[in-house]
Amino acid sequence: MAIGTLDTFPKLLMHHAQARGARPAIREKDLGIWQTWTWREFADETRALACGLATEGVKRGDHVALVSDNRPRLYAMMCAVQCLGAVPVPLYQDAVAAEMAFPIQNAAITHAYAEDQEQVDKLLEIQPRCPTLRRIYYDDPRGLRHYPQKELLAYDALRDAGRASLKRDPAFLEGEIAKGSGEDTAAMLFTSGTTATPKGVALTHHALIDRATVAAKLEGLGERDVALAYLPPAWVGQFIFSLAQPFVTGYCICCPESPETVMMDMREIGPTYYFAPPRVLEALLTQVSIRMEDASRLKRWLYRRFMDVAGRVGGALLDGKPVGFFDRILYGLGDLLVYGPLRNVLGMSRVRVAYTAGEAIGPDLFKFYRSIGVNLKQLYGSTETSVFVCIQPDGQVKADTVGPAVPGVELKFTPQRELLIRSPGLFKEYYKNPQATQEAKDAEGWFHTGDAGYFDPDGHVKIIDRVKDVGQLADGTLFAPKYLENKLKFFPFVKEAVCFGQGKDRVCAFINMDMDAVANWAEKRNMPYSGYTDLASRDEVYDLVAGCVERVNADLAQDAELAASQIHRFLILHKELDPDDEELTRTRKVRRGFIAEKYAALLNALYSPARTARVTAQVRYEDGRTGTLSAELKIRDVKTFPPAAAKQAA
Amino acid sequence: MILSVEDVSLAFGGVKALSDVSFDVKEHEIRAIIGPNGAGKSSMLNVLNGVYRPQKGKIRFKEKVFSGMDPHAAAALGIARTFQNIALFKGMSVLDNIMTGRNQRMRCNFLQQAIWLGSAKREELEHRRAVEEIIDFLEIQHIRRTPVGRLPYGLQKCVELGRALAAEPRLLLLDEPMAGMNLEEKQDMCRFVLDVNDQFGTTIVLIEHDMGVVMDISNRVVVLDYGRKIADGTPEEVRKDQKVIDAYLGLAH
Amino acid sequence: MPIEVIFFIEVLAGGLLAGVMYALVALGFVLIYKASGVFNFAQGAMVFFAALTFVSLLALQWNFWLALLVTLAVMVVLGLVTERVVLRPLVNQPPITLFMATIGLTFVLEGLSQLIWGSQPHGLELGIPDVPMEWLSQRWNVNISQFDLFAAFVAGLLVAVLAVFFQKTRIGRALRAVADDHQAALAVGIPLQHIWAIVWAVAGFVALVAGLMWGVRNGVQYALTFVALKALPVLLIGGFESIPGAILGGLIIGATEKLAEVYVGPMFGGGIESWFAYVVALLFLLVRPEGLFGEKHIDRV
Repeated sequence: MAIGTLDTFPKLLMHHAQARGARPAIREKDLGIWQTWTWREFADETRALACGLATEGVKRGDHVALVSDNRPRLYAMMCAVQCLGAVPVPLYQDAVAAEMAFPIQNAAITHAYAEDQEQVDKLLEIQPRCPTLRRIYYDDPRGLRHYPQKELLAYDALRDAGRASLKRDPAFLEGEIAKGSGEDTAAMLFTSGTTATPKGVALTHHALIDRATVAAKLEGLGERDVALAYLPPAWVGQFIFSLAQPFVTGYCICCPESPETVMMDMREIGPTYYFAPPRVLEALLTQVSIRMEDASRLKRWLYRRFMDVAGRVGGALLDGKPVGFFDRILYGLGDLLVYGPLRNVLGMSRVRVAYTAGEAIGPDLFKFYRSIGVNLKQLYGSTETSVFVCIQPDGQVKADTVGPAVPGVELKFTPQRELLIRSPGLFKEYYKNPQATQEAKDAEGWFHTGDAGYFDPDGHVKIIDRVKDVGQLADGTLFAPKYLENKLKFFPFVKEAVCFGQGKDRVCAFINMDMDAVANWAEKRNMPYSGYTDLASRDEVYDLVAGCVERVNADLAQDAELAASQIHRFLILHKELDPDDEELTRTRKVRRGFIAEKYAALLNALYSPARTARVTAQVRYEDGRTGTLSAELKIRDVKTFPPAAAKQAA
Repeated sequence: MILSVEDVSLAFGGVKALSDVSFDVKEHEIRAIIGPNGAGKSSMLNVLNGVYRPQKGKIRFKEKVFSGMDPHAAAALGIARTFQNIALFKGMSVLDNIMTGRNQRMRCNFLQQAIWLGSAKREELEHRRAVEEIIDFLEIQHIRRTPVGRLPYGLQKCVELGRALAAEPRLLLLDEPMAGMNLEEKQDMCRFVLDVNDQFGTTIVLIEHDMGVVMDISNRVVVLDYGRKIADGTPEEVRKDQKVIDAYLGLAH
Repeated sequence: MPIEVIFFIEVLAGGLLAGVMYALVALGFVLIYKASGVFNFAQGAMVFFAALTFVSLLALQWNFWLALLVTLAVMVVLGLVTERVVLRPLVNQPPITLFMATIGLTFVLEGLSQLIWGSQPHGLELGIPDVPMEWLSQRWNVNISQFDLFAAFVAGLLVAVLAVFFQKTRIGRALRAVADDHQAALAVGIPLQHIWAIVWAVAGFVALVAGLMWGVRNGVQYALTFVALKALPVLLIGGFESIPGAILGGLIIGATEKLAEVYVGPMFGGGIESWFAYVVALLFLLVRPEGLFGEKHIDRV
């Protein structure tokens, strides 16, 4: 079969079935054994499903919802939907039923695919509110045997019907695939609507294929690469890594056996291409630390010694920078004894390219992975941009930037420092929401990200905050409170931080210490204390926190744009900020305005010469009673540094 | 009728544990035996499983009549069970524990296994597959290789159920499957019991101390008190039965 | 290489290889102890009996392999009979009773073997000469006996076979299950006595292998029975229930006693090899009473 230009995913799939039909396309661990579909099998399965869906009445332009964990059958289903010119709409499998109603209503979805009984139950629950939904396909029949609903149809039955129809009329599907063009919508991904109603982001084949190709070229991805698909398929990143990029390059993706076995499966598979949001990387590191604490004394000693070495030279080695001969030998020894085994435990022995993105990553966490030889890099992008906007190229990796623009992307910053993007990967539209589309994408085709930042001297993009949160100090220099707060929160002793400075001459901060970490620290020093408030007021704890703030200041001084927002004074709050007291949102974001009002006296003291401040606050106890709490809080001045540029000039 | 118990009496020395207990179990049903502490529930289960031999009475299983069994014979007949205080091999992995449940079904002899060739290897792989299906069924893939001794209590109970299932029993005896579990674990266990019954068609006899959850999942319930049967019927009937209410109230000091 | 280093390597290698031989004997103890909790004092006698049967058959001009096969059969039968006649009737007796029974068995076996085969010491030849490996001598100037290496290879093979048997077969799994928990094994319908019989048969097989190796080394004679006593410190170090422990224990004992003989012995006027192993074992008992790999038993009160 002649495929023509490879401008859609179904065409790419059929191409791989011919070009590398016997190579593995997708694996899944089932009944303890890794089962493999080759590209040919993948394509066969997809064809059968597509014909099955056609007999069920799925047409060009329809939307089909898919609720499933990462499984070969899910991806075959997605591509089958695309074969017919219809649009797959993957939904988060951990969403509650009510959250699924909006996408289904919004796109007037008629057909849905569910992995198992749990997902079928959710779809059936919202069906009364979604009258268009008339067919639900399911994969795992367990528990569904006695369901009377006529809407239900088993995956196997769908595929078998499709096979029969394919045999009768093989030309039909070829025609349907050929009709597809790059400008068709390839997928619709709903942005999680924590603040407003979710928006369906429509992405074309062209946009996804273009970005996937460019990024794959940049990293040299090929058919021998292997990736693990373990994040929700409804998230754009997973969609890119387990559908768009494998379809472009022909690499193999692996689906874990269950969410609990991801670590073990990763160790068995040994992916070469890996993605993890910072929270996953953090959880992995925590596991390692816990295991090290239980290890024998000799192992702990080795670990500490060699992690020091790694911290000193590991990153430089990975970047190909010059490192002394003796350090090279030491690092080699460490690789044999510590880093190698560690990478093995993490399942990262074969990782060539690893990405992290989504939120700011702590520099220590980031450097840990790089120091043990994992090529972890940051990237920047969003659903609307088909992910790849910025990538840190090998050898130019920094902890606090997201790298320069990927080829094909144009970037610029507005005077308000908002990042604008023009790229072939931009989304087509927010589905049925022209107003939102217009707001986000202007007439010249620039996408307004809502993120604030600037270029650093090397031309890397540095993202500091959301535009709406960025302010100015009295002299008009940049003030990005969330950026400062995040920097503080990367220290284990700091739980929350609230930075002030809007319209003021300098920045001051409220700090919430992390009770667990500080209590542990105090215990090791045999420091007695009677409770949170007492511990928080100790000079030793102030010294500890002042050290953290000072390090943040030293770091800020390196950056010309941010040197002015060094933190001059701080105090440690007498209580933990609490969503119940409305000081935090339910998702634990600080409500800066509310806090400034509530603790106005403290704030005033920070900006006065006072050495202490008195606080009396109403507190609400867990049983609902209220009481008053009164405490004398110390205020501490912190050393600030002259801007690095000035220092160099001097 | 898969099993019937006829006038079974059991005594230890002078102490009567069971007196003239009769009941039957239909194919494919979930049958609960409940009763206050010391009512003779565990003794009854041990009689069915052949650990105890009753002094009087008969057991009819699949049209064959027994005056008593031994555990080995019971296993060979297709009766599998779990224990109130978990009898797993603590030092062995979950996989190996469940594999021992298939011991009865493996045929290769010592010599074939000693040289680990052909049929023995094939047999091993076949049974491994069956065990993997159970692991999948119970959703315990993540602990496949973990030594059982390191697992929390609820998971151990689950593994023990898995080992019993591995024998592909006709009749599954569960001795207080939810004892010591928290609410969520209890719900999971209920779901597994129902699924086993539904999917494999296994007949299940289970013992429980309190009336709670078992009443929701059982088709019929036998109530024992002081070694005697005091009620027998559907959960609704039993719940309303005055004798049952008295027995349970009498216990609630 | 300096001569001192070469000498040290030779002593160490000799010790380690001798340790392998101890481990072979200890293995038989561990198997039976693990599965049935019996300390089988007769393991040494079984080693002797196996070696004697084999050489006597050879002396009758039997074919080598036929003799080996028949001896194997005899040892398996011996194991089965022992379980049936001696241990099964004593089930549920205290361990000391069982231990005494195995001491009795030792004398029966010794008497029986002498009755059948006579009390003449025999030499045993397996076709592997007990001379230094040429390659090693020429290349590194280190002298290590060919036969010692062969014995180590056989021991390694035996352990590998046992490991596969234990890990990958139904009976192996049942054996582990019985060793783990008798009650639970009974409960899932594993026939205990059947398993014990198999364990004794396997122990008989291990005794045969050990008997052959020791027979070549020291000649087949009554004194072979006492290699059992050398296995005792090995078990104390490695733990009574661990196969890796038996091997490591054997290596430690072998190496330390040879090194001690050469480097410490002269201070005592020599001859410490015969008792040094027990000193090492006693020291171990003080530090780690459950052995290197033994399970810690915490008794419930």
